[in-house]
Amino acid sequence: MKFKNIVTYWRTVLTVAEITLRHQWNDSFILFAILIQPMIIAVLALFMLRGTGEDYAMFVVVGSGLTGLWSSLLFISGNSINGEHWQGTLEALVAAPIPFEVIVFGKNLANVVQSLLSMTTSYLLAALIFGYSLNITSPLLFIGSVLLSVLAFISFGLIIAPLFIMYRGIQQWQNAMEFPVYILAGFLFPIALLPSWTTPISYILPPYWAARALHETSTGAGDFDKIIFAWGMMLIFSVVDLFVSSKLFKLMLHKARVDATLETV
Amino acid sequence: MNTIEVKNLKRIYRTTTGVIRRKHKDVVAVEDISFDIKEGELFGLLGPNGAGKTTSVKVLATLLIPDAGEVRVKGLDIVKDANEVRKQIGFIFGGERGLYWRLSGIDNLRYFASLYHVDPDLSKKRIPELLELVGLEGRGDERVQGYSRGMKQRLHVARTLLHDPDILFLDEPTIGLDPVGAREFREVIRNLQSEKKTILLTTHYMFEADSLCDRVAVIDKGLIVALDTPSALKKHVRDLSVVEIETFGIAPQKVDEIRALPFVDALSTREQDQRQVLLVQTERGAEAVPDLMSALDGMRVGRVTVREPTLEDAYVRLVGGKV
Repeated sequence: MKFKNIVTYWRTVLTVAEITLRHQWNDSFILFAILIQPMIIAVLALFMLRGTGEDYAMFVVVGSGLTGLWSSLLFISGNSINGEHWQGTLEALVAAPIPFEVIVFGKNLANVVQSLLSMTTSYLLAALIFGYSLNITSPLLFIGSVLLSVLAFISFGLIIAPLFIMYRGIQQWQNAMEFPVYILAGFLFPIALLPSWTTPISYILPPYWAARALHETSTGAGDFDKIIFAWGMMLIFSVVDLFVSSKLFKLMLHKARVDATLETV
Repeated sequence: MNTIEVKNLKRIYRTTTGVIRRKHKDVVAVEDISFDIKEGELFGLLGPNGAGKTTSVKVLATLLIPDAGEVRVKGLDIVKDANEVRKQIGFIFGGERGLYWRLSGIDNLRYFASLYHVDPDLSKKRIPELLELVGLEGRGDERVQGYSRGMKQRLHVARTLLHDPDILFLDEPTIGLDPVGAREFREVIRNLQSEKKTILLTTHYMFEADSLCDRVAVIDKGLIVALDTPSALKKHVRDLSVVEIETFGIAPQKVDEIRALPFVDALSTREQDQRQVLLVQTERGAEAVPDLMSALDGMRVGRVTVREPTLEDAYVRLVGGKV
């Protein structure tokens, strides 16, 4: 890929992300998914864990933020192509000379950035309403983990969106996919509490490595080896996801041009 | 030099019904069409609903892959070189959709400019110019959901021109516009024509094709039935006259009976409020009126006029007189 292309694509990603944010802030469901629902989960968890210590509170803050990230990825990014379908804008996007996945990358970036707001909201909720003094074990490594988590989530979202379009059967399980990932990725409690046969499933989920890095750098011991390993896994998953998604997008668009499904839902 | 070359284009839609015993059905949208469009030409594609106009435009706009044939835009193959073709073209499909209604007109244009590799500094300069060109100056900051249908359609034009394409595909762009909006829109098309853009226009409105197009292809059931300049197409019907008869509540069987009369060359109907206007093409002109009146005996009949044929009449005759 030429350097000029990368600059152009990145500029497009930022513009798409900015305009997507402006567009979505008028949608009350999106506000619910990224702000209200994680707040409800945080309140429930904080009540349940009251008296168990400051670390648990921070664990819940990070965990509820991750639930917001996953929900936005599943519902907003997963439906992003369908959304363009419904608005009648899909043809105009596909007919643009920029690769379609670059556009969806920008939309996913907007969704993920919005979701980080839910983590901030939960932090403020725990600190101001519940009175916890929330400390982060390794602030710099935590920021690094957040950035890599953003990349891992966006890349994972790029696989989900074309799969939902090509195989409608998968999308029917969209709701059923929300809570199992909360559990299997260890968002709100460690996966060590789960039966051991579920562990391999957790390992193949990029959100698990994001949760592991974020928890380790916020409430964990800040073990550098563990953190670097989780970062490495996120990077590997991101590269693989980006590669696979570019193939999926090509396949999806070719199929849509053959089946004439760009206009109709 | 030909900017667009279409050779033996064929496109089929495959539909599937049933869950367990799935049945496949092929619908031929475009059977076999060939035409060329020269640089700077405004070429019209006319035909009834389902004739294959939109399918042809979508193939040219790289949104559909043809089943057979060869389609080239500026010498580029629309399947193999789709991405290069996309840089050269702009398209508008009729209707209000295709814009982000919760965004302002300017944000819509900024968004699409970024997708077409338009430099941000250039797009800052170009967006106000385009809004002025399409008559939306001063309205760009408003959300699109508050725009009228005509304004949305004009915003589509601005969107299409962001990357300054040489080739434009306009698929029934005036559909659903009120007469004033449609007239203003035709003025926009004329301006584009004067800028030497190569334009492919599909429309239902014959007077639109007559007044705008350099050449017109009449398409019916996926085949081109005539291709010429509007004035040459009108020659197809120069020996005929058109008798227009206002009727009230005429039955379809009666229309078919009149169509079958030996002196009737073609017949079409037009709904106007409570009336159905019969447009009868005949060599006999005014002399056919008494025979037509006797065929309509017992029916309530309003005004009857005899006039010279138009491009619309030529079109009706070319597509078999059943419009």
